[in-house]
Amino acid sequence: MRSLIMFLWKQRFFLVFLILEIISILLIVSNNSYQRSKFISASNGFTGNILSFYDNYISYFNLKEVNNQLVEENVRLRNELKSSYLKLDSTTGEVFDSIYFQHYKYISGKVISNSFQKRNNYLILSKGRKQGVYNEMGVLSQNGILGIVNSVSDNFCSVISMLHSKTAVDAKVVRSGYTGTITWDGKNYRIGQLENIPSHVEVHVGDSVITSGNSSIFPEGILLGKVLTAKKQSGKGFYDIQILFYVDYNKTENAYLIYNLMKKEEDKIMEGVENEQ
Amino acid sequence: MNNEIIKNIVRFILLLIAQIFVFNKINLGGYFNPYVYLMFIVLLPFETPRWLLLLSSFSLGFLVDIFTGSLGMNAATATFVAFLRPSISSLLLPKRDKDSGILPGINFMGLPTFTLYTALIVFIHHFLLFFLESFRLSELGNIIFRVILSSFLTTLLIVILEMIFTSTKKR
Repeated sequence: MRSLIMFLWKQRFFLVFLILEIISILLIVSNNSYQRSKFISASNGFTGNILSFYDNYISYFNLKEVNNQLVEENVRLRNELKSSYLKLDSTTGEVFDSIYFQHYKYISGKVISNSFQKRNNYLILSKGRKQGVYNEMGVLSQNGILGIVNSVSDNFCSVISMLHSKTAVDAKVVRSGYTGTITWDGKNYRIGQLENIPSHVEVHVGDSVITSGNSSIFPEGILLGKVLTAKKQSGKGFYDIQILFYVDYNKTENAYLIYNLMKKEEDKIMEGVENEQ
Repeated sequence: MNNEIIKNIVRFILLLIAQIFVFNKINLGGYFNPYVYLMFIVLLPFETPRWLLLLSSFSLGFLVDIFTGSLGMNAATATFVAFLRPSISSLLLPKRDKDSGILPGINFMGLPTFTLYTALIVFIHHFLLFFLESFRLSELGNIIFRVILSSFLTTLLIVILEMIFTSTKKR
């Protein structure tokens, strides 16, 4: 017994090292699961406050550009207003609200921390549980998808960026209507990969890519990017498509969180489907 | 000695702040991620107790992790290079130098040895970190490319910072 203790004492440097490494690896593993641990979610409040303090100062430098982006968005939205359309045919039927049931509503948020140069990137937004944010909410910017919420504290939430090895967003090519999955290979933060488009479909450079609406996270028709190159892979039935994101992940200031009003209903259905499998 | 402890604590805090608010934001084509906080591990005195070396490196890595959202990755890699540091320094320095209260730095080690010593620690750290981050062999080429670029930048920044601080000390 005594010699065992002596041995352990001699090796204490290695033992401390081993213990610390085991702690870190446990942290990595628990962080890799889709939902993050309670502990980190709580500490988000602390780090979130520090980061938003910093962002308060830094955001002034980008005001001009953010304003321009918002003006552009306002113009686009104004164009879609009913009042900017001229009624040509007086016999068109009216739209009743009982037919159109609101499916999504949006919560605006501010990006207080953002990374784009790592293999797995995260954003932190200054909206949390108190403002109605929940896990697995979709997050948009003015011109595309930012990511998916993965942990929420009272006033902040962290978002798995589109630039993450685990992110996969259902998308479709507008021209042909074929659906695939957008992922990111970690090389260039402006360029993503569209997979699973069969090679018999015609895909042209410059084709727009939008969300397909196959998941309950993102509504259909959000513009994601355009096709940069499309190569047929020899021996495989699928294209190798590179797409240019419309979002510049280096310049993200404002975000919109998508609140799905029918999420409970959709989840219930999905649960039923999964139980049968 | 007391003075040295305070200096290291201040360095710990300053490097943490600089890493989070300055170096994490550096953007050069998305390929360069300097991790200058390693300077703390590089500059800890040689006679630091080994458990303290490990524990302080671990906590610095852990704090950096909390702010970057890459939980555990910097903690694991910083602890690993802290574990290797005694072997690296005994590889590069004659034994009697280390025992006589010498501090790591350009003043005592000379520019070439200090650069090599820093580069070794930085390269091992970056290689492990980027590999842990993507965890795919298929991306090995891309990882090595990024490791080389980022290690170069981190080493350069650490050596420049060290030069600035030693030159002000002499005056």
